[in-house]
Amino acid sequence: MRLPRFRTLQGRIFAFFFGLLLLTQVAGYTLTSTIGWSIMKDMLAQDLRGGQQVFERLSQQNTQFLTQAARVLAADYGFREAIASDDTDTIASALENHGSRIRADLMMFVDANGTAYLGSGKPSSLQDSGRIATLLQALSPQGESTGYVRLGNQLYQVIVAPVRTPLPIGRVIAGFRIKAETARDFGRITNTDISFLSRSRDGDWQIHASTLPVAVQEEIAGELGRAPDQVMSPHRIDTAGASYLTLDVPLAALNVLKARVILQSNIDRAAAPFYELLGSLTILGLIGLLLSSLASFMMSRGIAAPLRTLSGYARSIASGDYRTPPPLDRKDELADLAHAFGDMSGAIAEREKRILELAYTDPLTGLSNRAHFIEQLATALAATGRAGAPLAVVLLDLDRFRYVNDSLGHPIGDQVLREVARRLVAELRQTDTVARLGGDEFAILLPTATPAAARKVVNKLLLALEAPMDIEGQLVDIHGSFGIATSPEHSADPTTLLRCADVAMYKAKHDNLGYAEYDTRYDENTLDRLSLMSELREAVELNQLVLFYQPKIDLKHSDSFAVEALVRWVHPRRGFVPPDRFIPFAEHTGYIREITQWVLREGVRQCSVWQHAGLDVSISINLSARDLMNAELPVFFAALLKTHGCRPDRICLEITESAVLDDPRHALENLKRLEATGCKLALDDYGTGYSSLSYLKRMPVCELKIDRSFVQNMVNDPNDTVIVRSTIDLAHNLGLRVVAEGVENEAILNQLCLLGCDQAQGYFFSKPVSAADFEIWVQSQGWRDQVQVARRA
Amino acid sequence: MKSVLLLALILPALAHAATLTLNLRDERGNPAEDTVVYLMSEKTPGLPIRQAQTRIDQVNKTFVPLVSAIQRGTRVQFPNKDNIRHHVYSFSKAKKFEIKLYADTPAKPILFDQPGYVAMGCNIHDNMIAHLLVVETPYFAVADRTGRAVISDVPPGNYSLIAWHYLRPDRDALVMPVKLANDTTLGASVRTRGGD
Repeated sequence: MRLPRFRTLQGRIFAFFFGLLLLTQVAGYTLTSTIGWSIMKDMLAQDLRGGQQVFERLSQQNTQFLTQAARVLAADYGFREAIASDDTDTIASALENHGSRIRADLMMFVDANGTAYLGSGKPSSLQDSGRIATLLQALSPQGESTGYVRLGNQLYQVIVAPVRTPLPIGRVIAGFRIKAETARDFGRITNTDISFLSRSRDGDWQIHASTLPVAVQEEIAGELGRAPDQVMSPHRIDTAGASYLTLDVPLAALNVLKARVILQSNIDRAAAPFYELLGSLTILGLIGLLLSSLASFMMSRGIAAPLRTLSGYARSIASGDYRTPPPLDRKDELADLAHAFGDMSGAIAEREKRILELAYTDPLTGLSNRAHFIEQLATALAATGRAGAPLAVVLLDLDRFRYVNDSLGHPIGDQVLREVARRLVAELRQTDTVARLGGDEFAILLPTATPAAARKVVNKLLLALEAPMDIEGQLVDIHGSFGIATSPEHSADPTTLLRCADVAMYKAKHDNLGYAEYDTRYDENTLDRLSLMSELREAVELNQLVLFYQPKIDLKHSDSFAVEALVRWVHPRRGFVPPDRFIPFAEHTGYIREITQWVLREGVRQCSVWQHAGLDVSISINLSARDLMNAELPVFFAALLKTHGCRPDRICLEITESAVLDDPRHALENLKRLEATGCKLALDDYGTGYSSLSYLKRMPVCELKIDRSFVQNMVNDPNDTVIVRSTIDLAHNLGLRVVAEGVENEAILNQLCLLGCDQAQGYFFSKPVSAADFEIWVQSQGWRDQVQVARRA
Repeated sequence: MKSVLLLALILPALAHAATLTLNLRDERGNPAEDTVVYLMSEKTPGLPIRQAQTRIDQVNKTFVPLVSAIQRGTRVQFPNKDNIRHHVYSFSKAKKFEIKLYADTPAKPILFDQPGYVAMGCNIHDNMIAHLLVVETPYFAVADRTGRAVISDVPPGNYSLIAWHYLRPDRDALVMPVKLANDTTLGASVRTRGGD
């Protein structure tokens, strides 16, 4: 069995003291009991030895007295005269007279011839001459002697005294039967139980007289019969009724008879007061244990109860309740502990306040941060929800702020952010909350603002931002896009409302609106995009993306051709996902990097496969603005080429003008490094965005692609024809090859041929197809004929 | 046994009496002190008493002498030389008597008129004991410390020499025929111990 474990301090203290006390009590009891027993046994043994001495002395005195008495008779002149005169009657009466004087049970005179003269009357059994013969045999031939002799079943102490006249003429024999009275007398004087025993001829011990109860006598006699020999030291004899400490005392026998006296002390009776003492001791011990366990319980509670109070207090600190510590009405260590707790909770409260400030504040602008804003929003929504009052959330994202950061440096960027914050706060009421959510994104909470009021505020803010900022002498022009979401119209949930504002803000930014109010229509896109993000990751990881290839037909040398690699997404559920559904999104979220890496890996691999198969095809791959900013891309690309053993000049990387314009310095640098790998570079979508001839000149491109929007309308719109022609001329003047996209019919193709365009790409030849389909297409003759026709035209 | 020449005196009146000297040894060859020797014949019981009275003293709670022999009919005086009193008694068959507590010499001596052994004691002093052999002859003696006993003035003739010792009172220590003519010295061995 396992001992119960005491989990509480109180329990342990209590258990410790209780255990200690119990141990002491038990040890004390055991010691007392052991020593007590030992002392008692020693005392009993001593009593017995004392009894033995008393018995022996008494017995000796008794014998001497009786001997003396016998001698007196033996020496009595009259008695001797009676013997001398053979006066039988007188002899008998003298014997009887003297016998009764000394209370002898047997009195006789035996003359020199062995003739016995008995005192008349007693005991009749001794009239038996056989027994007298036994007795006479037992006597030594002459002289004085004493001893015990067994006659019949009786034990006698016998005194023999010679009768002299003056020469010995016979002996006086006085016999004393050992009877209950004898034992009783001795017992009273020796203060022990005393028994006289002798051994019968068949070896059994017989008790002749005893102070013991009759039942015990038989058992004791039995025990002695079993014992091998006389034991000279006190020993223990157990009977059914009681235990006795026993001391054997031999009795002098007249003949070979074995006789002894045993002195006994009833151990149980002797132990009775001792038991009583032990009983009292036990009761006292129990009372002591009870009292002291009560005391140790009180003491342990005295220690543990304040500890419990303090631990309760500590828990309340843990749950954020910084009360003053509970008063402890004492002046000891526990009170010190309570004080220490108080100090600690004060310090914690102080620090928590500071942490809260830090946690809720944007350190750059001193505005609230996102967490605080959301909390404030939740609180406000809870309040307005009850009151049914309106509420507006406005999100502001600065346009092209990254450009500021990158071109003017972060310190300026930070100052811009601070200035924006200052202007916002200046335009707003005290009750409004302005927060910087992160980066260049701000949020404004307009409690009680209706949609109309919110619009008014936003207009004011737009105005406030319009003025250029003077940052360390530099004028910075900054614009922002605002998104407005209102409660209860859009949502009563803080997170949803904030997201609505976010959606609206993106709408405003995307469409260059300045500000926009949330509309559920925007949300579908957004929701779609949100789930797209995770699915897009899956697509890349699980290889759901596929590269399709659209041929670029060389209008001048029909035997060489190239393809543009276009990424396609075969979604397991949605099926085919068009690129314009996820590429802009990927560009916006930055995930385009992973997609571009995948496309590069796949494109280079395919190119290498074709090359090794003897199919000499150049593959064009699109890079986004973000890809251009990725300084690691050239390294990655070079490694790819090397891995697949692909000829670099068979890879053409297409970039847009706008991508370069975001950060021209870095973009140009990166472009040069890409060119250094040996690949070709092309300028895509030419004519749609900002076009800067100075950049065009500086960019290491060898190809220019005219945007499809110009090419498609060329046949109908003379303006577009002019643009296409001038573009082709410009490119050729700069030494660039020109590619026309969106070639959809023969008319366009013919016109492009006339204008001297170098390559054409479009549905007229082929839509983008899989690698396998492309290989089939290459073998077909159709497209070669089309080109031949166009050239001739 | 070596033969002894005994001289007999036939005429008592004329005769010069003989002296018999005996050197007595006990069984162990030690001088048989206190052995009573006497000569008996058919005539001796009727012979006149040679010494009418003799005495056994009590000195220092002791009978002196321890052993005495007397001719039947002799009176014995028991003078008390101690300054305490004695109570002399005898329960012997040859003579029962008692002289109750007395000092000095009792008024009357005791007449021993029966032959035999008389053991005497003092009723007051258990340790006092005296042995007296009453013989029917005037010719007797008690051996001294050296075992020498001298019977003098014995008429020559044939006698039985009888020895007796108090330690063996029931039987004679020696019975031996003696033919006495003149002074004779004899060595003899006697039994003094009890038992057989």
